[in-house]
This record gives sequence, C-alpha cells and structure tokens, in this order.
Amino acid sequence: MPIFFDLNVHAYPETDVPAEVMLRTARNYGYTGIAITNHDDCMGAGERQEKTHSIYTGVEIRTKSESELNRRIKHYYSSKVQLIAVHGGDERINLAALKDNRIDILAHPCGEKGEGTLNRVLVRYAAENGIAIEFNMNAIINNRRGDRTRILTRMHDNLKLVRKYRAMPILTSNACSIYGLRAPREMIAVAALFGMRREEAVAALRDVPLSILEKRWDKEREVELL
Amino acid sequence: MRDRRRYLVFNVLSEIAVDKYKLLNAIWESVYSLYGDVGTSEIKPWLIKYDKTGIGMVRCTHRKVDELRAALACVHSVGGAKVGIRVIGISGTIKCAYRIAGW
Repeated sequence: MPIFFDLNVHAYPETDVPAEVMLRTARNYGYTGIAITNHDDCMGAGERQEKTHSIYTGVEIRTKSESELNRRIKHYYSSKVQLIAVHGGDERINLAALKDNRIDILAHPCGEKGEGTLNRVLVRYAAENGIAIEFNMNAIINNRRGDRTRILTRMHDNLKLVRKYRAMPILTSNACSIYGLRAPREMIAVAALFGMRREEAVAALRDVPLSILEKRWDKEREVELL
Repeated sequence: MRDRRRYLVFNVLSEIAVDKYKLLNAIWESVYSLYGDVGTSEIKPWLIKYDKTGIGMVRCTHRKVDELRAALACVHSVGGAKVGIRVIGISGTIKCAYRIAGW
C-alpha cells in the first residue's frame, strides 16, 4: 500500500469540521496522514491537535506585507509548528516567501482565481531553498469555465518551470470540508488535466510530502538532542 | 462495431441524500465543461445505476477511464449540496461491476 499525504487541509477552528473527521475520511480515501494548515489570521491556528500520529500541525501564513511575513515566519519557526505554508498569489509575497528557506510550502502560487504568476526567478529560488510549489486541486474542482481555464493555464506554465528547474511540486486538496477531499487516484487524474504525468503526480503526493515531513522530524530530533 | 467498455463503480459522499437525476445532471455538466462536445462523444459516459446508499455505476469507453475519473472528481455540488465522488472500482464487465458495488 503506497503512502500518500495531503498537506494542506483546513479544519476546526477555521471551518466547523473537526480534524479527526477529516482524518477518518482521508484514511478511507487511502491517505496515510494529513496536515491541518489553518490560516494564521483565524483563531487558534497552529495549535497542536490531539496527539494523533497521522495529523500534522501546520500553519498557512496569510498577510499582505513582506515584513509582517518575515516576523510571522520567525515566530512559527521557533514554535512547535511542524509545517509552514505561505498563502501565495501576490507576486511580492511569492518572492518574499520563496527566498526564505524556513518555509516548506508555497500554497496556491497562482492565487485562488489564477491571478498570480510564477516566473523563472521565483522557481529557481524555490528549487534552491527546497520549497514545494503547491498545485491545489480545489481551484480546479470548484471553478468552471473562464476561471478554471485561467487556472489550468497557469498551472501548466508553473509545471513547465518546475520541471525545468527541478523544483518540488506538491499536490494538495486545500479542502475546507470532507466533501473537498479527493482520493489519491482522483487527484492524479485531475493533475493530468494540466499535463502532469502519472509518475510526477505520484511523487507529488508521496515523495515530496515525505521529504518535507522528514526535514521537520530531523529538526525536532536536533532540538531534543540539544 | 461494439466498442470495449469500462464500468466505474463510485461512492458519493454528500451532506444530504442526492437525487439520481440531479446527480446525472451534475456529472453531465462536469464532463461537458471539461471536455466539450467532441471529448464527451469519445468518452461516451452513461449512468447505469445509482441507489440511495450513495453507490452508483457509470460506463465509458475503455481508453477514457482517467478522463471520466477526473470529471467525476470535479463534481463539487449536486443541487446545492456539497458532494465528493470517489471511484471504488473499475471493471470490464457489468457482472463484475455489480459484485464490486455489492448489489
């Protein structure tokens, strides 16, 4: 049985679905674990969930200014948060986030409606700093027509850049309820819509999340040793 | 000539019980908006059965399984209720598909 992770899921307190319910559904769908990454401007973000091994605690930093972003990254990096994502979309925020190697994931770099862009400079930073570029499935699932076309075009472009500079792509559902989750095979099929090959999609669901989580485990172990 | 077919058995996770005809419309809308008229004619989707427990079966041509799977995954609501569709199994014969569905 392969090991799959969904590292961008929003749950209670940001939405009204408890993390355990999310995990149960995700397990049913064939995931090994999920990461709850609530936006940090909502209440109770980054709080440690109950000690379950398959739920990782993350945070998605949403801000409009670079200095604020820097301050919050510093705050969360020193605390017990296992995964730091940044709410992308704005080009300045994308750049500031990708320059910082303390971040794990740049969430939806093309914005929620496909308004943001990535360029080769940004993706090169991502590859150097080991930051995963997210391809969020909810944008494709929930939008139709013009919006979806724009998002698919952006994702197509991003994928080309990611391949060229060998950055890490990651597939996530970005789900806000259990109905937003999709099983790994469905995610792979949807990823094929913007040209992602099967092997790439499997790596984006399995190898990339594992490497992100291992990086964090190593850090925790270091802290314990000290 | 009769083309080869695949039968996809799926499970609908939904807030409230979903009506068969509304689900059918949602699937058609999803397939159409993703692949257009030409693509849909190649996929040849057909809803065969859907029962109240949330398990259903669709048919398509045997080379277009992934396309139909993506279209099913893109169904996000049926008649205002949020849903998530997951394919449980695929089969080449309707008899075996019924066994997967447990009917």
